[in-house]
Amino acid sequence: MSSELQQIMVESTERIFSDTVDKKLLDAVESGEFPQQLWKLICENGFHLLATTDSGADLADAFAVLRVAGRYAVPIPLAEVLLGNRWLDGSDDNLISIGERSGDRTLTVPWAQQAARCLAVTPDNRVFEISDYQSTSGRNIAFEPRDTLSGNFTEIKTDDDAYELMALSRLSLASGALNRVLELTIQYVGEREQFGRPIAKFQAVQHNLAVAAAEVAAATRACDGAVEAIGEERFVLEVAAGKGRVGEAITVVTEIVHQLHGAMGFTHEHQLHHFTRRLWSWREEFGGESYWQSRLGHHLHSLGADSVWDFIASAK
Amino acid sequence: MLQFDPVQLPDSSHALRDEIRQFLAANMPSGHRPNSDFLSGHNPQFSELLGTHGYICMNIPVEYGGGGRSFFDRYVVAEELLAAGAPVSAHWFSDRQFAPVLMQIGTEQQRKKYLPDMCAGKSYFSIGMSEPNSGSDLAAIRTSATKVDGGWRVNGTKLWTTYAHLNHYMIALVRTAPVSENRHHGMSQLLIDLHDDSVDIRPIKNMGGDEDFNEVVFNDTYVPDEDVIGEIGNGWNQCTAELGYERSGSERFLSTFRVYIEFLKLFTDPPNDLQAAAIGRIASNIMALRRMSLSVVGMLEAGKMPSIEAALVKELGNNFEKIMPEIARLAAPLDADKTEFNRTYRESILLSPSTTLRGGTREILRGVIARGLGLR
Ligand SMILES: Cc1cc2nc3c(=O)[nH]c(=O)nc-3n(C[C@H](O)[C@H](O)[C@H](O)COP(=O)(O)OP(=O)(O)OC[C@H]3O[C@@H](n4cnc5c(N)ncnc54)[C@H](O)[C@@H]3O)c2cc1C
Repeated sequence: MSSELQQIMVESTERIFSDTVDKKLLDAVESGEFPQQLWKLICENGFHLLATTDSGADLADAFAVLRVAGRYAVPIPLAEVLLGNRWLDGSDDNLISIGERSGDRTLTVPWAQQAARCLAVTPDNRVFEISDYQSTSGRNIAFEPRDTLSGNFTEIKTDDDAYELMALSRLSLASGALNRVLELTIQYVGEREQFGRPIAKFQAVQHNLAVAAAEVAAATRACDGAVEAIGEERFVLEVAAGKGRVGEAITVVTEIVHQLHGAMGFTHEHQLHHFTRRLWSWREEFGGESYWQSRLGHHLHSLGADSVWDFIASAK
Repeated sequence: MLQFDPVQLPDSSHALRDEIRQFLAANMPSGHRPNSDFLSGHNPQFSELLGTHGYICMNIPVEYGGGGRSFFDRYVVAEELLAAGAPVSAHWFSDRQFAPVLMQIGTEQQRKKYLPDMCAGKSYFSIGMSEPNSGSDLAAIRTSATKVDGGWRVNGTKLWTTYAHLNHYMIALVRTAPVSENRHHGMSQLLIDLHDDSVDIRPIKNMGGDEDFNEVVFNDTYVPDEDVIGEIGNGWNQCTAELGYERSGSERFLSTFRVYIEFLKLFTDPPNDLQAAAIGRIASNIMALRRMSLSVVGMLEAGKMPSIEAALVKELGNNFEKIMPEIARLAAPLDADKTEFNRTYRESILLSPSTTLRGGTREILRGVIARGLGLR
């Protein structure tokens, strides 16, 4: 898809999510209700099949949509549906979910109870379908369903770098959400008044937001780098760099945006936590910073000190 | 909202990169200890050699002696020089900002007179902004220029002028009209010959023992009208526009890069996972910064004035280049021979206080970013 078409698609996704995903929906989903209406809407618009090989879209387009999903904290396992349909050659409206395989269990499977099919990926990029499974329900920091499954594994053939694509989904979602919390905070400090003026007028507040903005910009570009490298040899390393860098940004930015929202941002009534708690979850899912940084680091060491600059500079 | 668009280096840059690497392999001055800080190696001979090979002012049109290439090509050469730790200080300010400034707002006469030698790596410029009572608060400058027949008489003191004792010219920000209600009015940029007898230059030793920056005193220094840069009274805006060139480059995050290379060399045995994470963390930060920096190059190439985006790159880059040697120091293997690592580490920590000061302090940059976010 050309960048113009991608832009149009991003804008229409943006419209749909901004119309439908609000605090009320996020609260309802958090209390355990699956967002049927939203799911229907996603299927009607064909978003769920965007990453299949005959969709006419590039994988990069699917990740552009995931950034938008992150911006709105869309409470559906969209990444799993997108990549699941890709790996299963899906063409219908079944919900597909994906977790990380660890030994004979599969961890952190979103909405396993609702899903028609569940997959498991491993760090060496193998994909399995799990059948006859038993599930133990759990939740991530954002209280999103993340179940643990044990059952039979059947390997599914794919040429994709499956685990890395899953990690990329988390960093795309995070990149969207980071931009959003920055915007929410800029808005809030302009409205909230103390000492007779908007708190945005205090230098300490401005400086903290400047730090957050710099981190958000870095995270955005780190995510770009990984998306641009899809299908290339260095993809895994760009994902590693991206997941590491975005993780660092999440740590800094979530701290600052909460500080600037005061007690109001610590309430459940406020929407900020729907984003920050997801960011904390996504930071760890499919490899946290130290996992990916060390993968990158081991690789750079194997290249040797004199080749490291070349590696850095040959990013496209 | 600030935006950093994806940018791809043009294909021409790949061949150029190979070329400059070969050049460096053959021509690094003998006995030179690599240092990636752009203010740690003033070497006119090397700058001239670079000029002869066409590696200076690559983005200046050929008719003025430049390479007639893009900002991207200039970027590639600059980052290769820094990563290799080559001595680039002599020509740095000419190449980075003053040649583009002359192209943008200089007169035809100024371009013809100054650019060819700048492009040849023979003519070096210094930045004359700060003064004893004017650091962050640049509008407080007192150095004044009074109109006389055919030119201006300059009196006052510039401070912290890097390489004024070694360079040929200074582009100085001076008051050409008294302070009025708008403090940013009444300032102008003059090109001043530092070899003039009326200019006294006194080097100031820094905490690491080096003499790089100076106090520069003007005693009735005469500057002809031909050497006014841009418009009289527009100095503030011109300086602000210049910051897009000044703050966004790879020198804002690669100053301590050689520490990273020496850190990597310590691992004769494979690193453990946590050490590898330190290696990867550093690389991932450089990769993101480089992408942001390239986004700004894209804006410069498109003729935009990305001074706020540039401030953001500098802010993030300076903080990173300060913390990076610490990440390396703390993750270094305990039993390795650290002679070379310690040497580069020592150079970088002695430099570290300056990175978040020179070119605009961290606090000033955060203010600029906040303005870009609409908070001020
Ligand atoms: C190595 C080096 C090379 C240099 N080379 C040059 C050169 O070639 N040409 C040149 O013109 N200048 C040069 N400078 C000077 C540099 O631009 C100034 O150091 C810088 O602008 C800060 O000014 P100052 O040192 O007077 O600090 P001050 O402005 O006095 O600041 C001191 C501290 O107060 C903070 N502060 C000041 N104002 C505010 C505010 N409004 N809000 C919050 N905090 C504030 C600053 O951020 C800083 O932390 C160089 C400096 C160094 C260290």
